Parts: sequence; C-alpha cells; structure tokens
Amino acid sequence: MIEVEQLSKRYGPVTAVDDLSFTVRPGRVTGFLGPNGAGKSTTMRIILGLDTPTAGRALVGGRRYDGLVRPLREVGSLLDATALHAGRTARAHLLSIAQSNGIPRPRVTEVLRLTGLEGVAGRRAGGFSLGMKQRLGIAAAMLGDPPVLMFDEPVNGLDPEGIHWIRGFFRELAADGRTVLVSSHLMSEMAQTAEHLIIIGRGRLLADLPATELIESSARHDVLLRSPRAAELGRLIAARGGTANPQDDGALVVTGLDAAAVGELAASHGIALHALVPRQASLEDVYLDITGDSTDYRAGLS
Amino acid sequence: MTVPSLATRARDLLASEWTKFRSVRSTYWALLVAVVTPVAVSTVVAFAFATTPKSGPSPDPLLPGVISLEYAVIAVSTLGVLMFTGEYSTGLIRVTFTAAPRRRAVLAAKATVLAAVTLVAGEVVAFASFGLVQAILAGHHEGVSLSHPGVPGAVLCAGLLLCVCALLGLALGAVTRHTAGGIAATIAVIAVPAIAGLLPSPWSGRIGRFTLLEAAQQVSTLHPSASLFAPAWSLLVVLAWPAAALAAAAVLITRRDP
Repeated sequence: MIEVEQLSKRYGPVTAVDDLSFTVRPGRVTGFLGPNGAGKSTTMRIILGLDTPTAGRALVGGRRYDGLVRPLREVGSLLDATALHAGRTARAHLLSIAQSNGIPRPRVTEVLRLTGLEGVAGRRAGGFSLGMKQRLGIAAAMLGDPPVLMFDEPVNGLDPEGIHWIRGFFRELAADGRTVLVSSHLMSEMAQTAEHLIIIGRGRLLADLPATELIESSARHDVLLRSPRAAELGRLIAARGGTANPQDDGALVVTGLDAAAVGELAASHGIALHALVPRQASLEDVYLDITGDSTDYRAGLS
Repeated sequence: MTVPSLATRARDLLASEWTKFRSVRSTYWALLVAVVTPVAVSTVVAFAFATTPKSGPSPDPLLPGVISLEYAVIAVSTLGVLMFTGEYSTGLIRVTFTAAPRRRAVLAAKATVLAAVTLVAGEVVAFASFGLVQAILAGHHEGVSLSHPGVPGAVLCAGLLLCVCALLGLALGAVTRHTAGGIAATIAVIAVPAIAGLLPSPWSGRIGRFTLLEAAQQVSTLHPSASLFAPAWSLLVVLAWPAAALAAAAVLITRRDP
C-alpha cells in the first residue's frame, strides 16, 4: 500500500505538487494519470525518498521510504528507462543493483528471463532500443520480488507486442496481490489496464475512483440518429424539450431525450430511422473534460 | 525479515560499487593512462637528470619519480569525477539512491572502491618508476637504493598522490554533479594553488606549504624544503584536501534532490 498525505512540493515560485492525498491499494492496477507537467513524476520521486517534499509525507507499507533497510525488497520502481550507463551490459547493470540490496545473483538471471532479455544479457545497454530499456528497467524493479511496484510511463517506446505483454504483466502482478501504480499521460494506455484511476492536474487531485465509475460520472450522454426526414424530426425533438444538433454528415446528435423516447417519437409520426445509437463518453473524453482546465500547454484554438 | 547487520549492508554496497567500477571501459582506460604515463615520463626525466651538466649540489634522486606522478593526476581525477557524474548525467543516480537511500553510505562505498584501486595503482607506479629511475641514475653514479634511510617512506608517500587526487575528483564530482564542471573544478583545486610557487620568496613557501602538489612533493623527496611544513605536517595537508572535499560532498549529497 502507498499512502500520500497532504503532499506539496514547490520549486521556488512553481508548485509541482499541491496538497495531494491519495492511497494506492494492493490487488489492482492503479493508473496515475495527468497531463505532462501535472506532478506525477515528482510525486513518485517523493514516494521513493529522492525528492524532499515541501510539506506532507508519503508512506510505503506504512513506513517512509528512506527508513527502509533493503528497499528493493519492499518497493520496485522504474522512473526512467534511459537511466543506464551506455557501456555497461544488461547483466552487470542488474547485478550492481541486486548486490546493493543483498539479492542473490541467480535472481538476475530470473528477471532477465521474466522480461525476455536473457538473449541480450551480455550486450551493452547503450545499444538497446527504448523498448528493450523499458524491459531492463522492469527487470530491475522486479529484482527484489517486491509487494509494491511503481512505473513511470512504462509504455513509452514499446512496440505493440511489448504493450500487450506489459498490460498482461501488470494485471498478473496485481492478481498476485501486489500494489501496482502505473503513471501515464494517455488515458488510452490506462483504459485497458487500470481498474482504479488517480487523476491529477497541476499537482492537485482531480479524481480518485474506479475506472468504471469514471465513465458513469460523466454528464456526456447523447443519441446519434440518422433519418431521411432529419430536419422534421429535429423540430419534433425540440418541441419535446430535447436538443438536436445537426452534424455535417446529416446525422443528428440529440441530448435531453434518451434513445427510447426518440424512437417512440419517430414511430408515432411515421418517420423512418436509419440509425439510432445511444452514446456515452469514452474514458478519453471524460479524462479530457477533467483535465481540460489544468493542462499547462495546450494547442492554440483561437 | 531480520534486519541485516551494518557490516553486511556495507559489504553489499561495496560489492555493488565494485561491479559498477569494473563493468565500464572508461575505468580501464583511465587506469592504463594513469600507470603508463608516469612510468614513461619518469624514465625520460631520469635521462635528462643524468645527462645534464652538473653545477652545484646534485638533484634529489627521487625527484624524477615524484614529478612524473603528477602526469597521472588528470587521468585518476577524471576517473573519480566520473564515478558520480556518470550517474548524474544519465539519471542512474536515482536508481542508485532508490536502491540505497542512505546516500552517504553510497559515497563511502564509492570512495572505498576508488581509494583501494588507485592506492594500489599509485604504489605500483611509484615503485616501478623508482626502480627504473634509479637504474638509469645508477649508470651515472647518482642513484639511491631502496634500503637507504627515508627512501621507502618517501616512495610510499609518492604513491599516495593518485589516490588523493582520485578521491578529490570523486568528491568534486558529487558536489558539481556535472562531468565537465567536476573535472574543471578538480584540476583547478589541484593546479591553481601551484601559482603560489611564482610568488616572491617568503610568500611562495608560506602559501605553497598548503598546496596539494607542494605538500605532496615535500613528503616524497629525500631533501625536504625548509620553506614548507615538515614532512609529517605536509602529509596531513595532502590528506586534508580530499578529506575536506569529501566532507563537502557528504553534506550536499543529502541536501539536494538528485
């Protein structure tokens, strides 16, 4: 379990993390989402005892990270897959990390096999693709077989096969009863992996809820319809208190009436319907709604 | 889970730093340069000594070996600087400090590994140079034997220079966290005070006695200079430089976010 309590981190006038509190529970994959610059990496560095918070605290398994005697046996983490010495082999890199925590040498071979790197163990890590470096970083996180795992943007640079592998891997870790926190700035990456979501923007907590509830919490429900007599139907919908927005392709998007009401209305006036689709906002849409005001850099629209 | 003893944790960190040290090529290049250059330079200087026409008292027979060691200073200090800055520049330092949150223990482990290797390398160079230089000087009846009083101690002390400069580099690498800055700082700390030698007579010694290179020469010659500290005090000066830099590194390493 990871507990973040009223955490703040300021760099001079810039507030990276602002009174942030959340709990990451074991047995499920928790997605840690937010736009770039939202404070995800800073929060993770504070949890790992690397950055000193301006206020508040973070606990792993009920203890501060810097109080852990053999931290890799308690928490595995991957912050930056490119944090390697280019001239060191994958095996030597992992061995040096294992030795620092008294982890026996055979475990290095095990994590190399676990991440599919046994064939390149003797090669210098500088020549690895970003995807291979991600695997090497995950191998390092797994060295201590820890109950708590944290990954910062682990999907970056992975090929489709790698992405499929990593999703299954995270779910397996959670199914083992481990605490798994995975950060991303893309909802699409999390939608298929995370059961629980923690969303932050500008260092503040925006949402902390199960992924399924996030969709239901959205106000964006509408009905898409196509009809040869769309204009006439649109006026009828408006008369019933609904709103019908004509689309460029001739379809109508209806809010204020559900699909059943629209269907009944069309039938009672003998209007044919070619399509009647109840729509719900996607996770991506909801995510953009939530974080829309907190993006530091957005594409100019004006 | 039982808490491992302090000795076990120290051994783990030493093993980790030793693996890092021996698994990159720059280590071997730096050590090769640090060993070969001074041995080669010492023979050249010895020939120059032996063939220069004599006027006044004959020069210190240990001087060629001492001077030549200074040519290894850049190689070993760079080796020391890179032990930290190589990790800062790649972000690997975060992996290191995540695995070992007691950062001063990491500093101590790196310093121990580096000191052990550069001490051995320094003594190998000092004694190899001594042997070569005396063999050349002996041909001109100016050599001195290892059994001569004061010689073993002086040669041992000469060999310390590489270890001292390497540790200075390590500490300044941790302070600057930047390879170019670390190397520049180390060279500056070692070489700039040597300008004191250009000052007029009483001041060259009064300031020079505190400089690393002057003090290092004072402990490794047969005929110590009267204007500097006595060899025992000069040895303290030599050791004080890396000690002070390591103390600064120990303070800063826990205060700054990596």
